[in-house]
Amino acid sequence: MVNNFQTVGKRVIRKDAMDKAIGKALYTADIKLENTLWASVFRSTCHAAEIINLDTSEAEKYPGVVKVVTAKDIPGKKSFGALVSDQPALAEDEVRHYGEPMAMVIARSQTTAEEALRLIKVDYLPLDPIFTPKEALTPDARQIHPGGNLLTKYDVENGNLVEGFSHSEIILEETFSVQRISPGYMEPENSLARWNADDSIMVWVSSQQPFHDQEIIASVLSLPLDRVQIISGVIGGAFGGKEDPSLCILAALASYLVKGTVRICNERKDSFLAHPKRHPAELSLKLGANKDGSIVALDAQVFMDTGAYASYGPAVGGLLTETVGGSYRIPNMRVQTSVVYTNSPLSGAMRGFGAPQSHFAIECMMDILAEKLGMDAIVIRQKNILHPGDQVFTRVVVNETANSLPRILTKFEEVYQRYSALPTKPGRLSGVGFACAAQTMGLGAKVPDSSTHRLTWLPDGTVRLHLGAPELGQGLATIAEQVIAEKLGIPYSLITTAELDTKTTPDGNVTCASRMTYLVGNAVSLAADNLIEQMLDHAIELTGKSRQDLRYESGYIIDNHDQHISAREVIAHLAERDITLQADGTASFPYPPESTPQHLPIGMPHVMFVFGGQIARVEVDPELGTVEVTHLTAIHDVGQVINRTGVEGQIEGGVAMGLGYALLEEMPIKPNGQWVNSFTEYLLPTAKDMPESLDILILEVPEKSGPFGAKGLAEICLVPTGPAIANAVCNATGKRIKHLPIKPEDLL
Amino acid sequence: MGNIQVQFILNNEKISVKVSPGLTLLEFLRTEMGLTGAKDSCGGEGECGACTVILNGEAVNSCLVLIGQVDGHSVTTIEGLSVRGELHPVQKAFIEVGAIQCGFCTPGAVLASKALLDHVPDPDDDDIREALSGNMCRCTGYTKMVEAVHIAARELNNGK
Repeated sequence: MVNNFQTVGKRVIRKDAMDKAIGKALYTADIKLENTLWASVFRSTCHAAEIINLDTSEAEKYPGVVKVVTAKDIPGKKSFGALVSDQPALAEDEVRHYGEPMAMVIARSQTTAEEALRLIKVDYLPLDPIFTPKEALTPDARQIHPGGNLLTKYDVENGNLVEGFSHSEIILEETFSVQRISPGYMEPENSLARWNADDSIMVWVSSQQPFHDQEIIASVLSLPLDRVQIISGVIGGAFGGKEDPSLCILAALASYLVKGTVRICNERKDSFLAHPKRHPAELSLKLGANKDGSIVALDAQVFMDTGAYASYGPAVGGLLTETVGGSYRIPNMRVQTSVVYTNSPLSGAMRGFGAPQSHFAIECMMDILAEKLGMDAIVIRQKNILHPGDQVFTRVVVNETANSLPRILTKFEEVYQRYSALPTKPGRLSGVGFACAAQTMGLGAKVPDSSTHRLTWLPDGTVRLHLGAPELGQGLATIAEQVIAEKLGIPYSLITTAELDTKTTPDGNVTCASRMTYLVGNAVSLAADNLIEQMLDHAIELTGKSRQDLRYESGYIIDNHDQHISAREVIAHLAERDITLQADGTASFPYPPESTPQHLPIGMPHVMFVFGGQIARVEVDPELGTVEVTHLTAIHDVGQVINRTGVEGQIEGGVAMGLGYALLEEMPIKPNGQWVNSFTEYLLPTAKDMPESLDILILEVPEKSGPFGAKGLAEICLVPTGPAIANAVCNATGKRIKHLPIKPEDLL
Repeated sequence: MGNIQVQFILNNEKISVKVSPGLTLLEFLRTEMGLTGAKDSCGGEGECGACTVILNGEAVNSCLVLIGQVDGHSVTTIEGLSVRGELHPVQKAFIEVGAIQCGFCTPGAVLASKALLDHVPDPDDDDIREALSGNMCRCTGYTKMVEAVHIAARELNNGK
């Protein structure tokens, strides 16, 4: 397809890069306000306990302390939660995980606040903590929440499982487990809140959904919504972890109570202990196939540890359930997923949202099946991949996007040959492995997700974007600016993006779910069309021509005699009359009733997919058990590329995150009863862990309903990395490791 | 504990301050000087490199340096890297190749790269990865950072 895009598909320089490179970008913790007090959080030192008494009297008397806050001070709703309101802003009667906030000291300085924390005394009645879903689901297990320990159970079936297995010529059963990991964004959670003289509050946040924060803060403080203003600072990464409120509730509460300005910052250890993680999970798969390699049936039992509070657990469980079959056509399939409360740190949204867990299982299973049947692992995938028109087990029919899958497998064949021919370092074992991936876009059916953004054509000829959903660092604003520039036919340099402020920005909803390029792109396209229509309407008056004699093209109004007037002239003329061209664009994810199965619970099904695949070469040192990923090729279908540099950046970062999941990262409880809670023990991939060769192959199978044919990318680029590396390790060593991360002791 | 007098060169200017000896260089820069380019990510453990500054030509974690230790020495922060508004080649290259996403690690990574190029004008991939291995980044996968350092090295070498 030949296109003549001016801005879309190009490499553009993001406009916030300059401030970030010179240290002037203001993240929330960098914003300085007069007379700012500091709040420090008093956290539980028990995994599970009843609170008999919480004595803050000594801390209150400490010089420099302004106030000590407990749950009793909360004027409105005392708990919150995106899907289930089960999480206390400050624990009152019971603590359910180590590090849970119980009180907050507001003081003149950080040092004073931290010193005063030590004077808070608490009498606990310790309870036996529960750390695994299996333990939590035993009949006599202590109930962590009044409704029991089973937060959500999914049981989704399609076809006939019994018949499927009875017709299978080979049946395999395997259990896989994956670990708890941290989103590990570089900027820990923090917030700043200022109480205004007119009894309103301003709260600066590092959040994926400022408009949701606004609602929660209003409910906790019992304030009308219009008294709560949220402003987004520059955000230092989020990866799903900042869908939950990032300390803004406590900052707002403190500010409200002292009628002043209060800052609160998590240290890394607090972030580890008290902010959502990726769910640890155990997945037992029973797979039935024929000897020719075609899959007949799949039965999966999944247990997910959601920790002490629900967060996004039910939704992650839903998406994990939907993706258990990966990129494959499986006629008879059942998945039963239990999302279970424990006393572990909470798990919630994180990039991939269930798909990294499900893909580790299914993609290792595909290799095991190939091995058992003596088949090539690429051939067996070719036999089973989804094609356009195929139904997945939620009964959603996959569209043309599945055309990317055969291309991915063809590329695997070619790269496999190349990687296999590379020389291995002396004393090492080398191997090549690969994995496909399917990720959904969108929040799922029946979940409201409309997203509104505003464009204003300013008298200086620039167009101002009020982006209603936060830029997290991934480049959302750049994508939106490119789409606007393309639609209006004006240079990218003329589009600027305003700071997100709930007072001046429309509600763009949460930034998540690999859907922002799609959703924001479509919304700003509509707004740009609207601006052009408005301009043409005004041009009628200005030119004396009729509407049908006028058209808009690349920043000009052109009449039937080919006379041009620049948009800038029109805007300047309108400005003299105090007219500003402004338009809102709203887009929602499409769930057409005729093609969206209605038999599933809320949030299911997702109807739009993206596919990708990665192939890795590893070298294993058999004496040390260490694994080095020497080469990796990532193949991803993104539809029409909007920003090529941004696409590569997402994939490179995704591969790093997937590599950490495969080999390095985990947040277990240590023998001393403490959770790993620092980067000293939690190993984030560094520059030295990256493959010496990382190739990116971008496929552009257009998504017709997306802006210029674009689709989502953010999450899928880490989904195949883990199983590809595990399969490569097996290829190198003969050892099939069924858990992540793969550690040296597994290979000795 | 009383305050101590510390004199040092900060971003090419001599300064003399009376400060609490318990203050780290990072805390001093952020709270006393309003230089917030250096970040705290790991909680003052020297693990993440987000607080990297250049001390006497070497990249260091400013969270691990007590303010008294810089007495008589020279410190460059990200705010002092560009000269008369002209970006350092490392900054330029980071911007141009797209090595910046959320940007929280950027000041530290830029300074670590600059310190490397001051010592090793023509680094290979391994030199760059080694030099950046103390600077954690969760967004970029480091690939474009390594590319940026190569580009900056070429520009610096051509200028000689």
